[in-house]
Amino acid sequence: MPRLADAVGRAFIVFLSRFWGIFALLVGWELWVVVGGLNPIVMPQPSRVLAEIVTNPSLFFGSALDTVALAGIGLVLGMALGAGIAAAAWTSRILTGLLTPVTLIFASVPVIALIPVIARVLGYDLRTVLAIVVIISFFPAFVFTSAGLRALPPGSGDLFVVLGARRMTTLFGLALPSAVPNIMIALRLAAPHAILAAMVAEFLMGTNGLGNLFHAAKDEFNMERALGASAIATVVSVIAFLGATAAERRMIQRWS
Amino acid sequence: MNGDSSRKSLLLGALGVLGFAMTWEVIGSYRLAGLSWPPLTAVLAYLTDPARVPLFLRALGATMGAVAIGYGIGCVTGLALAILSHVVSALRPGTDRTMAVIHAIPAIALGPLFIVLLSRETTPIAIASLNVLFAIYVAACSGLDSASPTHIDLMRALGAPMGRQFLHLDMPAALPAIVTSMKLAVPAALIGAIIGEWFGAPRGLGLLILNAMQNFQVPLLWSAVLLTAVVSLSLFGALSLLERMVYDRFR
Repeated sequence: MPRLADAVGRAFIVFLSRFWGIFALLVGWELWVVVGGLNPIVMPQPSRVLAEIVTNPSLFFGSALDTVALAGIGLVLGMALGAGIAAAAWTSRILTGLLTPVTLIFASVPVIALIPVIARVLGYDLRTVLAIVVIISFFPAFVFTSAGLRALPPGSGDLFVVLGARRMTTLFGLALPSAVPNIMIALRLAAPHAILAAMVAEFLMGTNGLGNLFHAAKDEFNMERALGASAIATVVSVIAFLGATAAERRMIQRWS
Repeated sequence: MNGDSSRKSLLLGALGVLGFAMTWEVIGSYRLAGLSWPPLTAVLAYLTDPARVPLFLRALGATMGAVAIGYGIGCVTGLALAILSHVVSALRPGTDRTMAVIHAIPAIALGPLFIVLLSRETTPIAIASLNVLFAIYVAACSGLDSASPTHIDLMRALGAPMGRQFLHLDMPAALPAIVTSMKLAVPAALIGAIIGEWFGAPRGLGLLILNAMQNFQVPLLWSAVLLTAVVSLSLFGALSLLERMVYDRFR
């Protein structure tokens, strides 16, 4: 029995050492609202937000599903486009020279500011949300794939040249496979942002998903529901990050 | 040979940017994407019209003020937190996770929160500083860990105290990563300030962009976005120069 108590105690300490910060934030928020006597319409405490989520599971789940589906499709499209254009640029020095500065410019611009422009051009609907996720996912994929395509294992490039491989054979046989770990890094960076960008776009467009749930609830002064939508988005974004990290680790183990 | 190839890549790069600008102009002039896509020259004319310069300058001043303060707060606290969890390594797992979760909170949710907690004017600063804080913290943590084990062993063997090892080994090793993250934090700070301004700030580029979108003021919308992009790009470029200097010196 003491051994069990020991194990539980140790697990508790590990848990505390990892999650003390998040725990402190939630407790601080709860105390701030209760002690400060804030009106729940202005700022509800975390326990009430949790209660709101638990009493309306289908509402939150359905909205989360909409956002995740859109973010997922956009992420795949953007990553494929970024990796594809990086591969195309790899085959031609001229294309690389033409594309690199334009991509650098876009990577250093606050993409969220583009949402209103894209909305005016494409319309206030799902296409705009999708376009934003594609753009957000495109840049890490392009930048990291390009770097990976250049960092070949030492000597392997020479081997392919000596064996008289064509450029395309080298691309698919050597360069792209050796860029896979880099593409996985891009996925880890882009996945959580894809969810959050989709939510911001949904918030501005008023289409569907968690962003629209947040928008609608905030307009009705239902802060519990609005913050519930944000809490779900936070959890989904963390899960996307953890999932992409796990996928990256597994891929690197298999690849090297 | 080397100079020749770098001149060539510079020329190709300029051609690429020119091609981009011309595509924008052609799509706008021939209305290929409808009425909401003005030609680049029209946007530039709108942006530089003397009658509107004060409007843009006022918005730019408000946003850049928030960005500057938020960026400063974010850099200092991010670095301080990273140093703290480097020195007191028991704090590290908890701080890492807290940072990751804070970073995963949607910025639009932070808006209403900070309006209650702070004020409408300081919300852009707060969101900008949180975005910067995360970028700096993550880079500084991995940078501080990047000193080579051989050097650490040497320092320990020579009996250097913790503080000396930190100043002469860990910190110089971390500088390149920190400067790179300072560069990458510029767009993040702008995004934070702009989203913060959507929640009732009295002025700023974010407010200008949102109002122009809602009132169908197409040239105003594109001008404000272009201005934001140009400012972000200039700051990014300036920090790239700093980054290069640090890399030359410390690597």
